[in-house]
Amino acid sequence: MIIRDEVDAPDDEVIGSRAAEPIIALKGIVKSYAMGGVEVLAIRGISLIVERGEFVAIMGTSGSGKSTLMNIVGCLDVPTSGHYRLDGVNIRHLDDVALSRIRNKKIGFVFQGFNLIPRMSAIHNVELPMAYSGVKPAERRKRAVVALEMVGLGDRLSHFSSELSGGQQQRVAIARAMCTNPSLILADEPTGNLDSRSSAELMSLFTSLHDQGRTIVMITHEPDIAAYASRVVVLRDGEIVSNRPQDASNAVSYELAPSGRYSFGGSGDEG
Amino acid sequence: MATAFGNLVMAIRGIGSNWLRTLLTMLGVLIGVASVIVLLAIGTGSSQSIEKSIESLGSNTLTVFSGSSSGSTTGTKIRNSTLNTASVTALSNSFNDPDVKSVSPVVTTSVTATYNGASYSTSVIGSTASYLSAENYTVSAGRSISRADVAERAPVIDIGTSVASALFATGADPLGKQIQLGSSEFTVVGLLASKGSSGLSNQDAVAIAPYTAVQDQLTGESASFSELLVQGKSSATLSLAESEVESTLASLNDTTVANLPFTVIDSASLLSTATSSSQTFTALLGWVAAVSLLVGAIGVMNIMLVTVTERTREIGIRKAIGARRRVILTQFLIESTVISFLGGIFGVLAGILVSHFKIDGVTPVLASYSIPLALGVAISVGIVAGFYPAHRAASLRPIDALRYE
Ligand SMILES: Nc1ncnc2c1ncn2[C@@H]1O[C@H](COP(=O)(O)OP(=O)(O)OP(=O)(O)O)[C@@H](O)[C@H]1O
Ligand SMILES: [Mg+2]
Repeated sequence: MIIRDEVDAPDDEVIGSRAAEPIIALKGIVKSYAMGGVEVLAIRGISLIVERGEFVAIMGTSGSGKSTLMNIVGCLDVPTSGHYRLDGVNIRHLDDVALSRIRNKKIGFVFQGFNLIPRMSAIHNVELPMAYSGVKPAERRKRAVVALEMVGLGDRLSHFSSELSGGQQQRVAIARAMCTNPSLILADEPTGNLDSRSSAELMSLFTSLHDQGRTIVMITHEPDIAAYASRVVVLRDGEIVSNRPQDASNAVSYELAPSGRYSFGGSGDEG
Repeated sequence: MATAFGNLVMAIRGIGSNWLRTLLTMLGVLIGVASVIVLLAIGTGSSQSIEKSIESLGSNTLTVFSGSSSGSTTGTKIRNSTLNTASVTALSNSFNDPDVKSVSPVVTTSVTATYNGASYSTSVIGSTASYLSAENYTVSAGRSISRADVAERAPVIDIGTSVASALFATGADPLGKQIQLGSSEFTVVGLLASKGSSGLSNQDAVAIAPYTAVQDQLTGESASFSELLVQGKSSATLSLAESEVESTLASLNDTTVANLPFTVIDSASLLSTATSSSQTFTALLGWVAAVSLLVGAIGVMNIMLVTVTERTREIGIRKAIGARRRVILTQFLIESTVISFLGGIFGVLAGILVSHFKIDGVTPVLASYSIPLALGVAISVGIVAGFYPAHRAASLRPIDALRYE
C-alpha cells in the first residue's frame, strides 16, 4: 500500500484501516498552554508507536501530561506541534466532519469523570454514538441493551445517570464506548473512582475487549491495574521516561467469573 | 447519517430531558408575548372608548360660557354679562336664530345622594327637557323631566345607571322613590339609558333635574346659569348657528361680537382636540409596548443564552462521541424553535384571555397586528438567542467544550 500525504484524504480513506501501519503513531508531539503570558509546556516532544491489538498503560505523576496526551490521541484536542497519524491517517488537516467520523467510528473514549449526558437514561446515553453514525433505531436499541447487559447493567436501562453509582456510571460509559465497535479504546483513569472489586470487574472487561483484538490505551495511577497491560509507558513532566513491555499474566487475579463471560461480538448478537 | 426525523426525535428528547428548564424558558417567551398583546389591547381599547365617549357628547351642539376668550371687555359698556333666562329667550327666537334647534340652561353641582342608607356622590345637572336630547341621553324607564316640571319647580329627577345601581338594590324599581340630595328630597321619575364609561369620565354617574328645582333646593336662587347648551339643527349648519348665537348675545348685551363677554365652543372642535390627544395617548402606549417587547425579547434572549451556554459541556460530550457540528446545530435549532414557538403560542392565548377582562376600567380591544408582531419578534429572538451559543459551543474543540464550567 502506498502511503501518501493525507491532506485531502476523502472520507473512505479516513475510515478505511491500513493494516500495515501502527494504529497510533506520534512523532515529536508538543502541547503548550499560554497561561497569562507564560507558556506552560504540558507535553514536550513525545514520540510513541502503539501497534494494533496492544494494551498500553500510561502512568506518571499528577500533572505529568497524561490526560493532555490522551486528549490528543482521541482527537479531542490538537497538538501545538508534531505529527500524529491515527490508523495511517494524518489527522492534522482533517475538518470537523472527518474528525467527528473518526471519533465516532474508530475511538471509544472512557473519561475519568464519566461524561454521561445528564437527565438522559442509561440506554439513551449508550444509543447516542450509534444515532450519530446512523444506525437504525431498532438495531441501536438492541445493541445498546446487549452492551449494557454485558457490563452488568441489564436491569438499569432506564435509570438516569444521577440515579447510578459511580461504578455503574463508568460501566455505562464503557458500554457507550464499545457499542460502536471501535478499534481503539481510550480510557482516562477508568478505575479512579471505583473500589477494588469494581476495578477488577472493569479490568476483566477490558481484558476481554483486548482478547477480541481491540487496541486499548489506559491511563492509571495504580500499579496493579497497570499490570493488566502488555506495555507500560511512564511520563514525567511531559516526557516519556520509561516505555517497556511486560508480561500481562503477572496481573493480580481476583476471584472473578472467567473473562470469557464478557464477550462483545460485533453488531447485535445476543449476549 | 442521522435523518431529519432522527434529529427531531433527538431534539425532543433534549427538550424533554429537563422539563423544568424547558417550562421556565417557555414561560419567559409566554410572558413577553402576552404582555405586548395585552398592553396594545389596553391602548387600543382606551383610545376607542375616548373617541366613543366624545362622540356621545352630541356632535352638533354649542356650549356658551360666561367670560370672554379675548379678555378685552374692559371699558365697554356692559349692561348684562351673565347668562340668564333673557339670554335663553333671545336665543330661542327662531326668527333671529333660524339654525338653533334648542337652548338649554345648565346649572351643575355635586352632591351626595342617599337612599335607605346607601349613598353615592354624583353630579347633578339642572336643565330642561331639551338637554337630554342635545346630550344624547335617552330614558330607558319612566319619563324625562318635562317643561311643566321646570315651570312648577318640581323636585323630580332622572338618574343614570351608576347612580341607580349604587342607591338601589338589584331588582328594586327606583321609579317613584324619594332620594335624598343633600338636605332635599327628589322623586325619581326616569332612568337614563347607559352611555357607557369612558377613559375620561363616567357618563352614567349623573342625575338630571329641572334647573328651577336645582336652584331652589341645591345651589340657591340665582339669576344666572353656568352655561347654555345650544343644539344646532344639523352639523352642516352648526357654524351658521354659532354666528347667530354670537350676534344675538352681542345685541342683547349692547356690545359687538368681538367684545362678547361669552365664549362659544362647538362640539366638533372639542372632538378634534380630544381625538388628537387620544392619538397622542395611543402613540405613547405604542412606545410603552415597543419597550416591553424589547424587554420581553431581552428576557427570551437571556434565558436562551443561559440555558444553552449551561449545556456547553453536554455539547462537548456529544462532539466527543462523534456528533458533527451540523447535527448539534440542527438539534439546538429545533429545540429553540419548538420552545419559542410553543411559548409564543401560549403567550398569544394568554394575551387574548387576559384581554377579555376589564383592566382599570378599560375594556381592552385586541389589536390584530399585535399578535403577529409579538409572536414574530419572540420566535425570531428565541431562535437566534438559542442558536448563537449552540453555534459557539459546537465550534469549540471538544476538549474546550468539555472543560467549560
Ligand atoms: N487547559 C489547560 N490550560 C492550561 N494548562 C493546562 C490545561 N490543561 C492542562 N494543563 C496543564 O498541563 C499539565 C498536564 O496536565 P494533565 O491534565 O495532562 O495532567 P495529568 O497527567 O492528566 O494529571 P492527573 O494525573 O492529575 O490527571 C498540568 O501542569 C496542567 O496544569
Ligand atoms: Mg488526568
